[in-house]
Amino acid sequence: MFRIVLKLMLQGVTDIRRHPWIQVLTLAAVTLVAFLGGLFLLVLHNLDLELHRAGGDIQFQIYWQPEAEQEMVRTQWDSLRELEHLAEIKTFSGDQALELLMQRLGGTGDFAWLQGNNPLPATALLTFSVRDDDQQTWAKATYLHLETLEGVEKVSFNPLQLDLARGWARFSNQVIWPLILFLGVVLALVVGNTIKLSQLHRRNEVEILRLVGAARWYIQLPMLVSGAVLGLLGGILALLMLKGVQLSLRDLLHFPPLWLRLDYLPSSQTLAFLAVLVVMGFLSSWVALREK
Amino acid sequence: MISLRHVSYSFGTQWALKNISLEVRKGDFLFLVGPSGAGKTTLLRLLHGAIPLKRGQGTVAGFDLHALKARRIHLLRREVSVVFQDFKILPDRTVFANVALALEVRNMPRTHTERRVRAVLRGLDLENKMHVSCAQLSGGEQQRVAIARAVVVGPQLLLADEPTGNLDRELAMRLMSIFLQFHAHGTTIVLATHNQEILACVPDAKILHLEDGAVNWTNWDMDVSK
Repeated sequence: MFRIVLKLMLQGVTDIRRHPWIQVLTLAAVTLVAFLGGLFLLVLHNLDLELHRAGGDIQFQIYWQPEAEQEMVRTQWDSLRELEHLAEIKTFSGDQALELLMQRLGGTGDFAWLQGNNPLPATALLTFSVRDDDQQTWAKATYLHLETLEGVEKVSFNPLQLDLARGWARFSNQVIWPLILFLGVVLALVVGNTIKLSQLHRRNEVEILRLVGAARWYIQLPMLVSGAVLGLLGGILALLMLKGVQLSLRDLLHFPPLWLRLDYLPSSQTLAFLAVLVVMGFLSSWVALREK
Repeated sequence: MISLRHVSYSFGTQWALKNISLEVRKGDFLFLVGPSGAGKTTLLRLLHGAIPLKRGQGTVAGFDLHALKARRIHLLRREVSVVFQDFKILPDRTVFANVALALEVRNMPRTHTERRVRAVLRGLDLENKMHVSCAQLSGGEQQRVAIARAVVVGPQLLLADEPTGNLDRELAMRLMSIFLQFHAHGTTIVLATHNQEILACVPDAKILHLEDGAVNWTNWDMDVSK
């Protein structure tokens, strides 16, 4: 039995050669539709990334008391680096802050006389990338945690930034993901119908197979495999074309002030993309072969 | 082999078969005759499960047509072969591939398939065309391929729907002699035709004349209660 199933599945692959022009045209149509869908997905994915990069971050600025022990502050900086959701940390000792201030002010900013008696405190600028739904609670808890650190005088963060982060997250969840789902449905329908139409020319063959006593599974298995293989091949070709487009456009917008770099689809989306095409190839073949 | 009791069939409100009762024994040769639209094709389609039996009772080759589920129809078709006027062959495949198809779906070993197909094609004078694409054959040759595919499995019952309809007189007579060969080997044959001339080829055949979906006359005692 296993041998027969294997033989029929292989037949499904080799059957693609039987009507080469129809299959090539179907493959071209599936590839182009999948490529268009993939292109849209690529844009949405990069838009989502950019939105999170640009607006999805929350920053806390921590000011230590000027008299706080430098050694203790440095230990705290190390522990801050372990915090969850931390995307970036910038730290400044009082001396570093003074030096930076002098650099920025140039010739007019000679504060050398302050060295040894520096009033500037140690500070840290923490940037978090938070994707949780309950960012408000997270921000409050983080604020309280930072404020209670030994030697800390003040912690500040901009609540507007939190609102912005939540806004981007909401936009991403309510617009981008539904758009991706909608795209998936459109892609599935168009690819499905294309493969279904290509299978209809085999109705004569199906009728003859029924006539000579072939069981339903015997007729359907090779054709379902053919449909799935067409979907898979179309998907792989579309992804290759997409990779070519991504590589050629990668640095097109990577200049100030945009600094946008086109990333390729992550592996999870690539696999989902292929899975949609394979499943639709399979299902559409099944629909085309349903007994009337 | 075939037993029908009060079988009727309608397409919507149009009755194609009206109260047909029929008994065909193993080894019989039955001609279904009558004008176009008399119900010959509908009756043949009913006999190989292409349309369901809704009214009346019927068994064919041991299968109860009324109780036959769609997923088991292929088992009936392994016992009942059909030949059509339009051949129903795959033109892009070779003669061998077309005939072997009937054995392949039964998962017959390759060597057995080759031996059997070759033997049948030899009998039908098609052995030298075995590897020729069916698209390159004449109408008569294509019809013989269809017959080869039907008989290669050694069916209990062979149904033929106007098999000589597309052929000239000479080819039609040759085809009838092929049917007679298989009949002589014990195959039950039901052949639908409106060609009166071929009836004479089988003098001892049963003849059932259909008209407007009903039995008009027969050349044997039709009392199925006997």
